[in-house]
Amino acid sequence: MNGISILIVIMLPIVGGVLLPLLDFDARRAREYYVLAIVIATSVFALSLISGSEGTELILYHLTSTIDIAFRIDRFGGIFALLVSILWPLSTLYAFEYMRHYHKRNRFFGFFTMSFGITLGVAFSANLITMYLFYELLTLSTLPLITHDGSREAKVAGVKYLVYSIAGATAAFIGMIAVLTHGGSLEFNVIGLGSAVTEANRAFFDGAFLFMFFGFGVKAALFPLHGWLPTAGVAPTPVTALLHAVAVVKSGVFAVGRVVYYTYDADYLAGSIVQKLALWFAAFTIVYGTVMAWKELHFKKRLAYSTVSNLSYILFAFLLATPSGLTAGLLHMMFHGLMKIALFFVAGAVMHQSGRTYVTELRGFAKAMPVSFGVFTVASLALVGVPPLCGFLSKYAIASAAVEEGSRSAYAGLAALLISAVFTALYLLTIVVRAYFPGENYDGHNLKDVTEANAYMTVPLVTLAVLIVVLGCFPGALTEFISGALSTAFPGL
Amino acid sequence: MTNVFTLLRITDRLSLQFGSDAVGRFFLCLVTIMWVLVGIYAQKYKEHQKHNARFFTFYILTWVMLAALTMAANYLTMYLCFEFMTLLSMPLVLHNGTPESIAAAKKYLFYSIFGATLGLLGMFFTNAYGTTLAFTAGGVMDPAKIAGKENVILWVAFLSVVGFGAKAGMFPLHAWLPTAHPVAPAPASAVLSGCITKAGVLCITRLIYQIYGTSLLRGTWVQTALIILALITVFMGSMMAYGEDLMKKRFAFSTVSQVSYVLLGVFTMNEAALLGALLHAAYHSIIKDGLFLCAGTVIFWTHKEYVSQMKGLGRRMPVTFGCLAIFSLGLVGIPPFAGFLSKWYLASGSLSEGLPVLNWLAPAVLLLSALLTAGYLFPICIHGFFPAEGEPEAEGKEGSGLMLGPILILAAATVLLGIFASPLKDALQAAAQSLL
Repeated sequence: MNGISILIVIMLPIVGGVLLPLLDFDARRAREYYVLAIVIATSVFALSLISGSEGTELILYHLTSTIDIAFRIDRFGGIFALLVSILWPLSTLYAFEYMRHYHKRNRFFGFFTMSFGITLGVAFSANLITMYLFYELLTLSTLPLITHDGSREAKVAGVKYLVYSIAGATAAFIGMIAVLTHGGSLEFNVIGLGSAVTEANRAFFDGAFLFMFFGFGVKAALFPLHGWLPTAGVAPTPVTALLHAVAVVKSGVFAVGRVVYYTYDADYLAGSIVQKLALWFAAFTIVYGTVMAWKELHFKKRLAYSTVSNLSYILFAFLLATPSGLTAGLLHMMFHGLMKIALFFVAGAVMHQSGRTYVTELRGFAKAMPVSFGVFTVASLALVGVPPLCGFLSKYAIASAAVEEGSRSAYAGLAALLISAVFTALYLLTIVVRAYFPGENYDGHNLKDVTEANAYMTVPLVTLAVLIVVLGCFPGALTEFISGALSTAFPGL
Repeated sequence: MTNVFTLLRITDRLSLQFGSDAVGRFFLCLVTIMWVLVGIYAQKYKEHQKHNARFFTFYILTWVMLAALTMAANYLTMYLCFEFMTLLSMPLVLHNGTPESIAAAKKYLFYSIFGATLGLLGMFFTNAYGTTLAFTAGGVMDPAKIAGKENVILWVAFLSVVGFGAKAGMFPLHAWLPTAHPVAPAPASAVLSGCITKAGVLCITRLIYQIYGTSLLRGTWVQTALIILALITVFMGSMMAYGEDLMKKRFAFSTVSQVSYVLLGVFTMNEAALLGALLHAAYHSIIKDGLFLCAGTVIFWTHKEYVSQMKGLGRRMPVTFGCLAIFSLGLVGIPPFAGFLSKWYLASGSLSEGLPVLNWLAPAVLLLSALLTAGYLFPICIHGFFPAEGEPEAEGKEGSGLMLGPILILAAATVLLGIFASPLKDALQAAAQSLL
C-alpha cells in the first residue's frame, strides 16, 4: 500500500475530532453515529495496515539532514496499534453512555477521537523524533479530557499531568539529542548505536539512556515519577480507562521499548550498570504500586495504582533486553490493556449507576449488577494470574524471561512479581468477595435504585471478558504475531 | 502417568492435561469417599444453616477441583486446580456470613494465594531448567542445565514446597488453618481439614518426587530444613491443640500437627516413610472427618462448642461419644486402631534414613506429639462419659440416622483399617514404590 495511507489513518480521527466541535451536534444520536463511524473506520483501516502493509514507509519531510518526520509500519508498533484499535471502539461505545450526564460532549468526543489518531501516530512513527512529536501532542490532546468537568480538583490534576509529562518529555528529548550529536541513530530501522559507541563516550550514552528512560518513564508511571496518574483519576472514566490504562501510559512504555531495542540494543544494555539500575527501579515500582493499590480505598485510584505496578511489569520485561523479554513485555502490554480497561469499565459502571466511588461501599453489589461484577471477577482473576486466563500467560512469560536471564536484578524483579501477585489478589478479590458475599445482617439497603448498566456498557464489558478468556486459552495467533517483532529488533535471530 | 488426556494445549509448553497414577488414584478415592459421607451428613446438618443452595454448589465445585487436582498430569494443571480449589472453597469458610468468618475467609485466601504464588515460582524454574512440566517419576530437572545453578534450584525447591505447604498447614504458613476451619459449618470443616489439606500434601509429593526428584534433594539442606519445619509443626500443632478449649479449633490445631506427620514421611524420602505418609493421609482423613462430624453433631443438638461444656453429654449421646472415643484412640495411635500402623512406618522410615540427629529426633517428636494428642482428645470423652460429682444433668439427644450413619461408617473404618490393614497397605506400598 502507498505510504500516504499511514497519513490518512492518523489524520482521519484527528481531523474528525477537530471538526466535531465545529459541527456542533445537538442531537446525541447524530454525534454518536459520526464519532462511531470515524473510530470504526480508523480501526478497520489501522488493522488492515498492520496486517497487510508491514514495511510501508512515508517520509513526510526532512527537518534537518539527520532528522525526518517519517512513518513506518513495523511489527513492534503494529502491536501497539492493534491494542488501541481493538479498544478504542469499545471505549467509545462505553463513553456514549457514560458521558450522557456531562456537559460539552462535543468537545469531549472531539479530543477523545483526536487522541486515537495521535496514538496511532506514536505507534507508526519511524524514528524517535517523530514519535516524540506525537508523544507531546498526546499530552496536549488528553489534557482537556482530564480537566473536562471543570472542577478545581480536575484542573489541579490537569496541571500536575501537564507538568509531569512535559518535564519527562523534555528529559527524553535531551537524551535523544545527545544520542544524535554523538553519532547514534534515532531511526527504528537502524538497530543499536553501532560504531558510535567507543570506550570514551560509553558513559555519555549511558547518561543519555537514563535521560530517556526516566523521561519516558513519566508516562509509564515509573516511581518516583508516577504521581500524576492516580491524581488524573478525576477524569471521566472512559478517559481513565482508555488513556490512563492503555493509550497514554502504554505510549510511555512503548517509547522505552523503542529506546531499549531500537535506539540502543540488547548487546549494549545486557549486563550494563544502567540496565541494572533501570531494572531495580522497575522492580521497586512493581511492589510500590501494588502496595499502594492495596492501601487505597477509592475504587478508581486503586486501579490506577494497580496500573502503576503493571506498567512496570512491562518495563521490567523490556529492560531484560532479551528476545523473550521483548515478547513477554509486548504480551503483557496487550493483556494488561484488556484486563485493566475491563476493571475500569466496571468501576465506571458502578459510579454511573450508583454514584459509589469507594470499594468499601460495594457490599452485595453483585446482586444488582451481575454482568458487571461477573466481568470484574474474570478480569480480577486474570490480573491476579490465574490460568487459563490471559494475565497468567503474560506473567508467566515475564517470569520465564527473568529466570532465563538469570541475573540478580532479574531475580529481584521475579520476587517483585510474586509479591505483587499476592497483593493483586488482596486488592481485587476483596472487592469480589464483598460484592458477592455481603454477610449476615445484610438487607440490601444500599442497592436501592441500583440497576445493571445498559447495553452501551455491558456489551464492551462482555466483549472484553470473552477476549480475556479466549486469548488466555488460545493465544497461538497472537503470540505468533508478537514474535514477529523479534526479527525487527534482533536481526541476527 | 497413564491415560493422559489433553484438555487444552495453550502453547507448545503449556497445556492442561489430566492423567492417572497410583498416588493420584489413591487421593481421588480418598477424597471422593469422604465427600460422599460428609455430603450425606450435611443433608441433616443443613437444617442448621441458611443459603443451602449456595453451600452445596460450592461443596460440589470444591470436590470437582480437588478431584481434578488429583488427576493433574503437569505442573500448570496442578497449579490451576489448586488456585480454583482455593477460590471455590473460600465460600464454604465464609458461609455463616459473620464478620469473623469473612475475616477468616480472607485470611485463608491470602495464605493460600501466597502459598500458590510461591509454588508458581517452582514452575517458572522448572520451565527453564527442566525438560518438561509433566510429572515424571524421578523428576524432570535437566542436570546439564542446572549445573552451576544448583543452589538457586534448591532455594526454589524449598520455597515452592513451603508454598504448597500453606494448604497443608505447615509452619510457617499454618496460621490461617486454625482460624478458617472452625468458623465453617461442620461438614465444611470436616472436608477442609480432612481432605483439602491433603491437596497440599499431594502437591508437595508431586514436586519432590516427580518434578525436582529425590536424587536432587536427598541429603541437602533443603531436606533437613523441610524435616525440621515438619517437626516444628507437629509439635506446635499438638501444643496449641492441647491448650485450646473451643472444640473445633482444637481439632483444627490437631490437623496442623497431623498433616505434618504426613509431610514428615514425604520429606524423609524412603519407602517406609512414604508408605507411612500415605497411610497416615488416609487414616487422618477418616479420623479427622469423623471428629469434626461428631463436633458438628454436638453443636447441632446442643449448641455447645467448648470442650469444657461436654460434661455428661456422653450419656445423652452415647453413639456420638463412643465414636469420638474410637477416633481419639485411632489418632493417638493405639493398636489395633488405624493410626498406629502409619506412625509405625513413619518412625521406622525416619530411623532407617540415617540423617544425623533427625533420625532419632523425628521419632521422639512423634512420640511426644502422640502423648499430647492423648492429652487433648481423651478429656473430651472422659468429660462426656464421666462428669464430676454434682454436675447438673446435661441436655442433649442423639443425632438422626443421616448424621450417625456417616460417623459410624468412619468409626468402623478406623477399627477395620487398623486390624485388616494389609490390602490398603499393599496398595499404598505399590504407590510409594512407583514414586521412588
